[in-house]
Amino acid sequence: MDIKKLLLRNETVLIFAIIIFSLVIGSKSPEFFTLANLFDILRSSFVQLLFALGVLIVIISGGIDVSFPIVGIFSGYTAVIIMQKLELNPESLFIPIVLAVLIGIALGGFNAIAIAGFGIPTLIATLGTAGIFRGVMLSFIGASFISDIPIGLDKFSTADLVKFESDAGTLVRLHVLVIPVAIITILVALLLSRTIFGRSVYALGGGTEPTRRLGISVKRTQAKIYMLVGGLSGLAGILYVSLQRKANPYDLAGSELDVIAAVVLGGASIMGGYGTVFGTVLGVLFINMIKNNLVLLGVSSSWQRAAVGVLLVIGITIQAISENRKNKRQKSASDSEVA
Amino acid sequence: MMNERASKFSTAGLLADRKVTQLMAFTAFTFLIFSYFSSDIFFTPENFISMAYQVPEIAILSIAVMLSMLTGGIDLSIVGISNASALIASYIMTQKMSEEGAISNSWILIACLVGILMGLLCGAINSILIAVLNVTPILATLATMTLFNGIAIGITNGVSVSDLPEQFMRIGNGTFFGVPSPFILMLIIAGFVGYLINRTGLGLKVFLIGTNRKAAQYSVMGDRKVIAWTYVISGLLSALAGLIIASRTSAASPDFGNSYILLAIVIVVLGGVNPMGGFGTVTGVVLATIVLQMVSSGFNALRFSQFFYLAAQGGVLVLVMILNAVLEKRRISKSINKSLGS
Repeated sequence: MDIKKLLLRNETVLIFAIIIFSLVIGSKSPEFFTLANLFDILRSSFVQLLFALGVLIVIISGGIDVSFPIVGIFSGYTAVIIMQKLELNPESLFIPIVLAVLIGIALGGFNAIAIAGFGIPTLIATLGTAGIFRGVMLSFIGASFISDIPIGLDKFSTADLVKFESDAGTLVRLHVLVIPVAIITILVALLLSRTIFGRSVYALGGGTEPTRRLGISVKRTQAKIYMLVGGLSGLAGILYVSLQRKANPYDLAGSELDVIAAVVLGGASIMGGYGTVFGTVLGVLFINMIKNNLVLLGVSSSWQRAAVGVLLVIGITIQAISENRKNKRQKSASDSEVA
Repeated sequence: MMNERASKFSTAGLLADRKVTQLMAFTAFTFLIFSYFSSDIFFTPENFISMAYQVPEIAILSIAVMLSMLTGGIDLSIVGISNASALIASYIMTQKMSEEGAISNSWILIACLVGILMGLLCGAINSILIAVLNVTPILATLATMTLFNGIAIGITNGVSVSDLPEQFMRIGNGTFFGVPSPFILMLIIAGFVGYLINRTGLGLKVFLIGTNRKAAQYSVMGDRKVIAWTYVISGLLSALAGLIIASRTSAASPDFGNSYILLAIVIVVLGGVNPMGGFGTVTGVVLATIVLQMVSSGFNALRFSQFFYLAAQGGVLVLVMILNAVLEKRRISKSINKSLGS
């Protein structure tokens, strides 16, 4: 019974999907199974994973956030502008990151006010604030591309933990970010599973009324969630700027779907109440693996978006079907009890 | 008992009217403000004519969003559908033109029909996901939005199709008795949807589902079928909007109108539709479209940047929702006080 349950878990399905997909691509082009490719997939996943962790928390709580990419680029871009305007030490890596996280928390605070303060549905509130943030950034803070970002950030983009030349002559690099991102991932997992706050997030996803009756403040929990997500998005935004070595205020907008897709594929229930960090990590890796390697599979680049769309539809369909089955089983169980 | 029920109905009717009246006042107010501040650019016949060409497409998209919202769902794939439909129709037209050098009216009709068929098909995919497989509407349409957009990019390799035949362009740029023809199309569509939701059984069921899905289920009226129909109609409307856009601009592109989703939701909410479902009027949505178009034209006339308009859209959305929440709270506490007092 337990093994069956384990096999039916979303994470297990995803692991199988990743393995099958790897084998298919690997059999077509052996360059897939190189360390360089693995590290490339990791590198392209860092920023998305940070965003995804934030989205996971929101989705577990029963909400949805579509403003996080805008919060991210707003924080990253504004942090760079502040660094330049105030002529802060350009060597520093610490100052821009702290700035971006603080800006992210402040923007998350706006979401918190709209959602926790006034009870606006989360999708509509974050759609609105995304428009406000983007509009304010592009009309008041700046609309031009900055290529000379502070040296500290620029240098960080090439800070590699491991760097060597492989036998085939390609450069194999593992970015140092893998450590902090792994630590943050573990911290979020612990936060969700081991703290009162984390358990309140799950409770909130189960329903607001039961949460209130448990004696948990719904508003306070929601406010904390959206500020935390803002902070995470701010961090992701500044790291994005650093890895890209440029601050482009038009970037990231529209990337919310891929991240939400990764979280949902990772098994988080959009209705709230269920979701794991491990599943999210797998979801992000899976999406990035596919995006990076569809070309190797022979899918032309213009059909990539459609392929991601098909994958998403399949993912949510499987989830919905298993959910339907569970409901039916519960229903028939309760029916037989009555009889 | 009878009286109580009657009074309840009349207040609900009044409330509906009040929302439209408020909106009309708001429309007039916006109109006066921009006319005053920019009498030389905003308050000119040319500006109003150009607005009459721009309003229809977004109004039709907003009506599509409204339909799904009335059932308590949402359709985020409207722009994806409208672009995919417009691209297919444009693709057929330009292919035919490059083959034969010219194109007959019947081929244009065929191309448009294929475009509409594409819209219906996309709507049907949404319906299957939402009504049959029970996927949450937000999630289903988020996924299909990527899918439809991806199909559009795939077909055209990501480039836009332009130089559409002149006869086709006449639909979007012509006039009918002096009124821009897209505007007339919009009135016909709005009238059709208004009739559908207010005068037919399907419409009544749509409102019932939006008000209380459980009750709708227990009344065995085929709630899934109703929801399936809403998304199919939403797909049809999106396709029509896409064709109008293509014919007005003489081009179709996979990434046209990405900002229209936010705009359509802003309009629908501003138009008094309850995002939880169960309440909304076509009149409100059309009026809200006109208000936002005036704001857009006015900002343009006053030389504000388009991003400022984006911020204003978001601001309007959040403020309207906050206002609704505050008014609702006050109404509830008032009615509690009343019943406690009596």
